[in-house]
Amino acid sequence: MRTETFSEAQAGYAVARKPTIWEVLTSEKYFKWTLLIPLLVVLAIFMLYPLLYCAYYSFHQWGMRGEAIYVGAQNYRQLLNDKAFLEALYRTLKVLVICVSCELLIGLGLALLWSREFPGENIVRGLALLPLLVAPLILSLLWNFMFEYDFGAVNLILQALGLSKVYWWSPQRALYTICFITIWQWFPFSTFVLVAGLRSLPKDVFEAAKVDGASPWYTFRRLTLPMLSPLIMIIVVLRTMWLIRLFDPLYGTTRGGVQTELLDWIVYRTAFVYFDIGYGSTMAIFSLVLTIAVCAIMFKMLMKALGGTR
Amino acid sequence: MSTLGKVMFWLVTAFVLFVIVAPLAWIYLTAFKSPNDIFTTEARKLIFFKPTMENFNRLFREFPFWDNFLNTVIISVSSTVVVMVISSLAAYSFARWNTGKGHLLFTTISTRMFPGVVAAIPFFVMYRNLGLLDTRFGLALLHIYFNTSFATFLLYGFFKEIPEELEQAAMVDGYSRVDIFRKIVLPLVRPGLAVTAVFCLVWSWNEFLFSFLFTRVAARPVTVLISSFWGSIEVQYGPMAAGAAIVILPTLVAAWFMQRYIIRGLTFGAVKG
Repeated sequence: MRTETFSEAQAGYAVARKPTIWEVLTSEKYFKWTLLIPLLVVLAIFMLYPLLYCAYYSFHQWGMRGEAIYVGAQNYRQLLNDKAFLEALYRTLKVLVICVSCELLIGLGLALLWSREFPGENIVRGLALLPLLVAPLILSLLWNFMFEYDFGAVNLILQALGLSKVYWWSPQRALYTICFITIWQWFPFSTFVLVAGLRSLPKDVFEAAKVDGASPWYTFRRLTLPMLSPLIMIIVVLRTMWLIRLFDPLYGTTRGGVQTELLDWIVYRTAFVYFDIGYGSTMAIFSLVLTIAVCAIMFKMLMKALGGTR
Repeated sequence: MSTLGKVMFWLVTAFVLFVIVAPLAWIYLTAFKSPNDIFTTEARKLIFFKPTMENFNRLFREFPFWDNFLNTVIISVSSTVVVMVISSLAAYSFARWNTGKGHLLFTTISTRMFPGVVAAIPFFVMYRNLGLLDTRFGLALLHIYFNTSFATFLLYGFFKEIPEELEQAAMVDGYSRVDIFRKIVLPLVRPGLAVTAVFCLVWSWNEFLFSFLFTRVAARPVTVLISSFWGSIEVQYGPMAAGAAIVILPTLVAAWFMQRYIIRGLTFGAVKG
């Protein structure tokens, strides 16, 4: 009798007691947000803060010393008339188009070649994927040496084949040489994305097309390509994201010289070589808005494409 | 396939593999060449030369290679550990409850598209004031920032694959949410955690922009040391190749053993290669 009353009192106490912070955080209602706290802190510090900071200084003139002077939209006006910046922007788009289209074409060709299972497949795939995880900076240093005019392996081989040597780093060619380095590292990526795509295609449709006497070209254009389009979309989106940020291959080769200055490089040069934080922030904000605009459109397409493959 | 078709298939395959592997092999060849064989104009010497350890000896003797290598190891391992904790919690929340209805997930992923230089400008000024420039801690913080979004998105895909019924069954058995996460969900996504961790290690290992801007001497990662061999007064191809040969080895090994997961990782989990 006595013990019962005691436990009742205890139960009553438990109900009245305020839940501890831990209990609130892990409760059914709040647990999903609790899990996100660390991520949100990281995002606030590393995304929101730089964004606000750059937005603020893009309206100021400041060289890291002394007081920042408010100049209104002058930095932005200067930006739109800055020939070097507009050229860097144009070059970035050029690199983007060249690299993405070459990677897709090479990738598609090789994916068709390797789409059926074959002996030694694991070894071929293993070797082909090797460059993808190697530091782009180190690869660009390597290719810089291989494309050297006097001792570079490429020119020595050309010479041995009876051809003439080429100035790979001339102002006319340097940008294309950098494109080549990037394409060389990344074509295995699009190849194996598309191999994965080709292997997951339903076989019966293709058998039906064969029975109906469709030519291989017709089957490819009307069946294979449309079915691969979500994956092609994924490749375009992801490569665009990475290529807009191209920086390492420039550092390893031309360092922005011989007409190869790209978007991130000119921001780096303005902010960290000339220490013009105000104008550098303006460029950074511009490049950020551009990226977000491109990526927001692409992210929608990507999500659609993901819906198709998941 | 016809015999001719087979011959063509293997010819093309061999050619492609040669194009991919030869430049990588070139690093290892150059690493063992004497300066005379590096600066040669004879094509024959590209492959036939007398191997020497000279470049490695110079690298270890004249440059702080192992100090910088240690910096890279410390920074990439410590940042990966923190990233894995933050990301696995967040990814689970996104995968199970669709927290933020996709918008928050988009914000997260967009940090990966964020131009590195945008973050670099304010942090450079801030680090200078706080005395965090050229410290391993400061650089590791920046690596946490750029790896978190990637890891969250990749893990999101792995968490999505766990059937919700399992968790409901556990709740019926009286497990709390925390217990479910710790004792049921985490063991199930262990392969996903491993793959994600290796990717984070590799990205941090290879990272250059922040490493180059935020370190000088004490915390300098090894990629920055290697980049310094090119562009100074004389170009030091020998030590550069020797250093590169050592530094890329772990990433080559990772690529070889993770070949099944590379495509999945690089597409943020969208394509299962």
